[in-house]
Amino acid sequence: MNIAATDRTPAITLSQSPLKLSISGESFPEDVSAFYGEVIAAINQLTTTAKGKLEVEMAMVYINSSSIKAMYRIFEGLDAYRQAGNEVQVTWIAEADDDIMQELGEDFKDRFQSLNFSVEQHD
Amino acid sequence: MDLSQAILLRNSLRHNNVIMAYNGTVTDDLMVTLADLLKERLVANDEVKRSKLIFAVFMEGVQNLIWHGKEHAENMGMILITEHEKEITIMCGNRIEKDKTQGLKDRLTQIEGADKETIRQLYRDGMSNASEHEGPGSGLGLLEIARRATHPISYAFVDVDDHSVEFILAATI
Repeated sequence: MNIAATDRTPAITLSQSPLKLSISGESFPEDVSAFYGEVIAAINQLTTTAKGKLEVEMAMVYINSSSIKAMYRIFEGLDAYRQAGNEVQVTWIAEADDDIMQELGEDFKDRFQSLNFSVEQHD
Repeated sequence: MDLSQAILLRNSLRHNNVIMAYNGTVTDDLMVTLADLLKERLVANDEVKRSKLIFAVFMEGVQNLIWHGKEHAENMGMILITEHEKEITIMCGNRIEKDKTQGLKDRLTQIEGADKETIRQLYRDGMSNASEHEGPGSGLGLLEIARRATHPISYAFVDVDDHSVEFILAATI
């Protein structure tokens, strides 16, 4: 999966070897379900389509509350993949001084305490 | 409206330091256009951290108007942004059905007296709440606004007729 970024939707890539999911950019699509539907479906299928360590990197700039709901679904899928016996490493990257994205990363980490989850600030 | 009324309105906008005012149908395209205008202004005048807070509150407020506007085609939304002593206040108003106000009032009561930590906990609980019956963000938007505002949110309900009320929410950053 390779979705290019737009002004209001993030770049999303899901590669097989190495197994890695990256989501970065802005997220306030006009239709959240339409945009994230196939992404959530692909993550949910990982337990049958993939095996082994999954690296996840998220670097959001702005994300609206309905996209946060969709992202929650993505994390649920990641957690299901972990529960199937695979290693999952999540790295949440906030821009330096971006308290909003820093806090949101901490909030997701709080909700998914079983995931290996690091929240970092990068310049 | 005649010219003298227009002058009164202009004077009122100036007197109240209104930097953006809109009344009418709120669409997704309008939100993007206004967001770009606001961003330009913020980049010119504000530090980055504050700009992000203002932008987040604006987006959630306006998305709420779009959501409610979709339910009622005739629904008009109001967006008002004022600046006073280096503080920005964003007000969003729209008409809602009277019998739908109780749930909203309950949530507002819960939020308005809460400290930041409590709001954050409510927000975290809201993230994992699967219900989407209240809209795309399903109640998270209101918490997002309360969380980013630097003062407690304020709001008003104004009776329109037997069936509807005007709801206005204000947040200051």
